[in-house]
Amino acid sequence: MTRKIFRYILFVSSVVLAVGIALTMVVQYHYFGDQLEEELEREASYLEVVVKNQGVEGLKEVADNSERITLIDAEGAVLYDNRADESSMENHADREEFVEAKSLGRGKAVRQSETMAERTIYFAIRLESGEILRVSSTQYNILALIGGMVQPVVIVLVIMIILAAVFADKVAARIVEPINKLDLEHPEDNDNSYEEITPLLTKIHKQQRQIGQQLAEAVHRQEEFQVITDNMQEGLLVIGRQTELLSCNRSALKLLGVKEAEEKDSVLALNRSEPFRKSVEAVLSGKHESIMMQIQDRVCSVIVNPVFQDGKVTGGVLLLLDVTEKMERERLRREFTANVSHELKTPLTSIQGYAEIMKEGIVASADVPKFSEKIFEEAGRMITLVEDILKISRLDEGCLPYEDEDTDIYECVENVFAHLQSSAQRKNVELSLTGEHCHIMTKKTIFEEMIYNLCDNGIKYNREGGKLSVSIDETAEKIEVKVEDTGIGIPAGDLEKIFERFYRVDKSHSREIGGTGLGLSIVKHAAACLNMNVDVTSQEGTGSVFKILIKK
Amino acid sequence: MRNYFDRQLGTLHVELIKMGSLCEEAITLSTQALNEKDRTLREKVFLTDSEIDQKEREIEDLCMRLLLQQQPVAGDLRTVSAAMKMISDMERIGDQAADIAELSRYIVPYESKNKKTLLKMAEAAVHMVTESVNAFVKNDQDLAQKVINDDDAVDQLFEDVKKELMNQIQAGEVDAGLSLDLLMVAKYLERIADHAVNIAEWVIYSITGVHISNEHRFL
Repeated sequence: MTRKIFRYILFVSSVVLAVGIALTMVVQYHYFGDQLEEELEREASYLEVVVKNQGVEGLKEVADNSERITLIDAEGAVLYDNRADESSMENHADREEFVEAKSLGRGKAVRQSETMAERTIYFAIRLESGEILRVSSTQYNILALIGGMVQPVVIVLVIMIILAAVFADKVAARIVEPINKLDLEHPEDNDNSYEEITPLLTKIHKQQRQIGQQLAEAVHRQEEFQVITDNMQEGLLVIGRQTELLSCNRSALKLLGVKEAEEKDSVLALNRSEPFRKSVEAVLSGKHESIMMQIQDRVCSVIVNPVFQDGKVTGGVLLLLDVTEKMERERLRREFTANVSHELKTPLTSIQGYAEIMKEGIVASADVPKFSEKIFEEAGRMITLVEDILKISRLDEGCLPYEDEDTDIYECVENVFAHLQSSAQRKNVELSLTGEHCHIMTKKTIFEEMIYNLCDNGIKYNREGGKLSVSIDETAEKIEVKVEDTGIGIPAGDLEKIFERFYRVDKSHSREIGGTGLGLSIVKHAAACLNMNVDVTSQEGTGSVFKILIKK
Repeated sequence: MRNYFDRQLGTLHVELIKMGSLCEEAITLSTQALNEKDRTLREKVFLTDSEIDQKEREIEDLCMRLLLQQQPVAGDLRTVSAAMKMISDMERIGDQAADIAELSRYIVPYESKNKKTLLKMAEAAVHMVTESVNAFVKNDQDLAQKVINDDDAVDQLFEDVKKELMNQIQAGEVDAGLSLDLLMVAKYLERIADHAVNIAEWVIYSITGVHISNEHRFL
């Protein structure tokens, strides 16, 4: 801008200067022309007097070198000329100034020379003798004049232009200075000296505010997105066409087992296992895919979606889901189903076998009651099993028909002991109960079921003549119900698994002992349902201790 | 221009990662093939090997184009030349994995005491290949150095296998053909470890510009 203003000022002053000089010269030229004519006229009048008094001789004396003086007789023949030989000169009768002077007494003429470089002014006067006296002077014409003055004029022009340039530079800087000093960050706060730019500043201010708002919104949205993706359980990866990582969330890094990822790095640097690589290749060739992959000890499901723009794949979105637990649950469910089918089938097969023998009539009538008893027993086993499965699935679902009621733990244990009296006697196991009457609010049926299962196990897995003791301890914070037996105990390696469904420590003797393999599983589920903790310690060969911890 | 060049370098990086992971896969599979009676495992190793060969040609082509069209200098030139050296090592790893898979058919049917040491050796070699590729991917000089140091363990294991076999042959406990096959596998594994070391050295070269001369390791 400064440069432009400078140029304009310089240009304008140069033009003005040049035109000024030119005009001055023209005006001066005309002024000097007029002056010249007047001078000629005066000289002619003076010479007239000279001729009158002294004749041609006098003229000769007067004539100097400055002006050309010619004396012409009435016929036009040249009598005298101070610049040329009069004898060689032609007749002047037809000259304009001569004709004019002859008839009017005075005559004037201006003639351009052939070269156009100069013009001659003639002034003629008729003498009393009838002769004509002519005085002439030559003046350079305007072009010649200019030609002659070029050097000084150019020098003047150059000096003036330099001055103008210095001036223009200063002025331009002055004009631009306030604009340069504008504080564009706070356009409204400027006390600007140009009111022409006020609308501009106002507009800038408005736009600045708008941009600020939009930026804040964008940042907010970005943060929102970041917060959402960072709190997602699923891993999210966005990749570009060159497999470069564009964005990823914390879960993704965690699932891939990477501490940090550099942006613009290839996603394959995070994981380069075959399924992952294949899925990245697939997504970049525009295919949707869903695969399972193993990352360290976890199983991940990877869902890939290509991103299209104008029909071309420009990247992909990878979603990582941790399905380890799901797979584990699936496995457990499959195992459970297989176990249930197996457990249900065993008594059924026995029932079918006995029934078939009886149908074929092979059984002696004396043996029929024995066989029937077997069938009855097996059917009973099945019913118990089905009941247990129902119980456990009801606990699983959590939809219990029972309500909390005031429960006396001591009474509960007594009830259980009453139920188990016969089986304890059969195995010669001594039952003992110590402690006080503690009251809690709980679902009594389920609680009793828990105690029953624990005591039942304590008898079943006890040795002949063993002991099963239940003790109830109440402290300020909790109640502890301890079921202690003197049975076969549980190997340390199996302790974790005993609460699993259908898990048996000693699979080979399970039929003799009886039970469904669901007892402890029911205990565990029931405890979870009643918000209690079950703890187990055991010494193989000497017995096990199950503890129920009830928080008050 | 630079942008295009950067993109090409990016592609080179990604392709090298892919090739590295193919190598890991090949050697892992061939180690499995040593232990399991599964014919498809062998087939898979051969397939992976030819994939590795294909990748080598592609990357070579890419490197050539980079060198001729972009005329890289300094760090970029190091990256490209290191890449060219690395792919030949990776290609050798693929070939040797295929060789092991080929031999596995004669080894799997027999029980041998040496298998345990051999599997331990295979595990160490696989680990070295994985770590060398990791070092490349992460541009991790320390990790590369660790791979180079790990080689001694594999060399020691090779000596162990050799001694075991010698003793067994002397005692006449083992079939001569089988022991030769086992020795070959051990040698291949030892070579694979050497190639992993080479890769690690090239990683260090591409980072520092100094190549650790370790010629005796090739022998």
